[in-house]
Amino acid sequence: MLETVRVPAPSLQLMLPEGLEASAVADTLAAELPIVSQRPSTIERTFWDTFDGRMRAAGLALVGAGGRLAVVDAISLAERASDTHRRGANRLLVADLPAGALRDAIAPIVEMRAVTPVVRVKSRALALNVLDEIGKIVVRLRVEESTAFGVDGSDAAVAVRARLHVIGVLGYDRELAALRELLEHGLSLAEQSAPVQDDAVRAVGGRVGGTSSKLKLALDPQERADGAAVKILRRLAEVIEVNLPGTLDDVDSEFLHDLRVAVRRTRALQRELRGVFAPEPLRVFRDGFKGLQRITGPVRDLDVQLLEFDELAAALPDDAAGDVEPLRRLLQAHLQAERRKMVRALRARTTRALLDNWTDFLDLLEASDDGPRPAAARPVGEVAGVRIAKVYRRMVKMGAAIDDGTPAEALHELRKQGKELRYLLEFFQSLYPAAVVKPMVTSLKGLQDVLGRFQDREVQAGLLRSLGDEVAMLDGGAAALMAMGLLVRRLGEEQARARTQFATSFAGFAAKSQRRLVEQTFG
Amino acid sequence: MTRVVALYNIKGGVGKTSAAVNLAWLAAAGGARTLLWDLDPQGAATYLLRIKPKVKGGARKLLAGRPDPGSALKGTDHELLDLLPADFSYRNMDLELDDVKRPTKGLSRVLAPIAGDYEYVFLDCPPAISLASESIFGAADVLLVRLIPSPLSLRTFDHLRSFVASEARKPPQILAFLSMADGRKRLHRDVIAELLAAHDGVLQASIPAASEIERMALHRRVLAQTAPRSRAAVAYDLLWEDLRRRL
Repeated sequence: MLETVRVPAPSLQLMLPEGLEASAVADTLAAELPIVSQRPSTIERTFWDTFDGRMRAAGLALVGAGGRLAVVDAISLAERASDTHRRGANRLLVADLPAGALRDAIAPIVEMRAVTPVVRVKSRALALNVLDEIGKIVVRLRVEESTAFGVDGSDAAVAVRARLHVIGVLGYDRELAALRELLEHGLSLAEQSAPVQDDAVRAVGGRVGGTSSKLKLALDPQERADGAAVKILRRLAEVIEVNLPGTLDDVDSEFLHDLRVAVRRTRALQRELRGVFAPEPLRVFRDGFKGLQRITGPVRDLDVQLLEFDELAAALPDDAAGDVEPLRRLLQAHLQAERRKMVRALRARTTRALLDNWTDFLDLLEASDDGPRPAAARPVGEVAGVRIAKVYRRMVKMGAAIDDGTPAEALHELRKQGKELRYLLEFFQSLYPAAVVKPMVTSLKGLQDVLGRFQDREVQAGLLRSLGDEVAMLDGGAAALMAMGLLVRRLGEEQARARTQFATSFAGFAAKSQRRLVEQTFG
Repeated sequence: MTRVVALYNIKGGVGKTSAAVNLAWLAAAGGARTLLWDLDPQGAATYLLRIKPKVKGGARKLLAGRPDPGSALKGTDHELLDLLPADFSYRNMDLELDDVKRPTKGLSRVLAPIAGDYEYVFLDCPPAISLASESIFGAADVLLVRLIPSPLSLRTFDHLRSFVASEARKPPQILAFLSMADGRKRLHRDVIAELLAAHDGVLQASIPAASEIERMALHRRVLAQTAPRSRAAVAYDLLWEDLRRRL
């Protein structure tokens, strides 16, 4: 049976001192309060999350136990929604879950990401109920003594500190407050804000909160430009490495996306800060990363088509909605073929060598001769500012030259520059006041959204057109082709709409006040 | 989606409260978050669940929505079952409803901000035909009526159906169940057979006359806690299964 989404009862979690057993806690509390304890039970939970820990970041956990999968509050483990769960699967996308409360609770959090098992926790739970004078339960307590296991099949168990969960009963806040006072001050138990999942993940050597692909760097404006570049590029190399296995295993489409963004950012920094590198090795690496970008492109394009397929098909009239299914199947077949090619290329020795050589090169960069590297020793604040101001000025000039008759290529070029500027701002944001960078990023984002929609619709329409002959040969091909005609027309309309929005978003980006601010901060 | 079931009878003292409490408990035990609103000023359901029959501000404030009815809720001994307790001021519910705008929507308005948290809401209604009844018809998806196996029951049931149809703008579905049934009595067997044949709104399971049910008030516990394997408890299990399927 499906369950509705719940409001959790007020609760807190306390840490028990090392070596203190559940029965001893029960005895201590029974001496102070009217308590009934229930028979201890054992529960085995498998915690699931996305690679980047989205459930955990939302303060929730996805837990498989006893043939059910449930969204629970991360700390109290109080259930919000659940459904039956087939054992055996070790990767789930939202589409794999049956429609219902569980899927509704997870979908907006994990989006296109897959959830996979993160850690297994076996707990012995002792439930204790605190009663009032007429024997009614007014606070619930649960002592959990847990052991963590990895999800790789090994049976190595690691004990996790025991926790005392204190769960309030609706309408009995005073009793909860009094018990809290007794536990925290009378028995000196400390509140613990980290969920058992975190301790368990740490115990089995995992990464608490998942693996982020964000940059999060703090740079000093006075540090050498090459040193700052190395910091950024090392982090990007790390992002590429951590996303590579998931890309090869096709866990979800975000691994490839994050890998490609890191490659594109690497290339942007290679271009923008070329003065910190010696020309010849840089040329080799730029070619290498360009190749990496190229071999991963077709799969990403098809991923995007398939991720947006339902939304696109929803634009069709109801009676034609099913007609595009042959197209979906064709896109999936193309995706499989392109994936095989990409996986082969990514597994090739040349790709491994490129990534290893690149990190070796970064390790030695700061110690290498400054001679052929004119910008290497200059303060990064200065070098980055010049580049940001230059790309911004270039964009203003390019955008000002665009009118209704300008060919689409000019808008595509402007979008490329916009990406370059966005990356520069992300790399070097710690060097400048947030009050300047944030609004600049916001207006740039607005412009990029319009330019992105303009270009993406063109690419999507182009891809549909290119598949026309193949679709026509399939069963149901004629109907699919007609539906595709409608889709191409709709994409064309959306592209035209994006073009009409360009002037407004560009005006905000290139406003006089904005230009002055850029000159003052970066120029 | 929340389903609201009102336990309703024209006449008092017919085991309506024990049905409300046991069914609500079974709904919660099945994993569904459940609310029981004890609308009867005598507060028998509230007493059975060991909760004080008190709502701050009484019926007047509750109907006015100030404070939020959520603040009057009490958790019971089942984690998934909450209670909106009885209050002695409910005896004036008719008068209080008369004072609010659109009185027939009065109870729905109280439930509106809290019902979404629950899969099932049970209303233990006071025995009366009044303004409060019309408000109950407005709030409930199902009126669940207890019948005793007597030749008059069919007439009572028909009477109630036409009363509800005449009073409610959108009449709730009306279901009935039999209690105090004694399978050894031919009359009971005949009446039950006649009722089941005449109305598909009569649920199959009937609740026997049993001392365990009477003892609930003594222990202040539901059957699932005190006598889970008793004949009466099993009958309630079957009744809930049948009702759940129809909700």
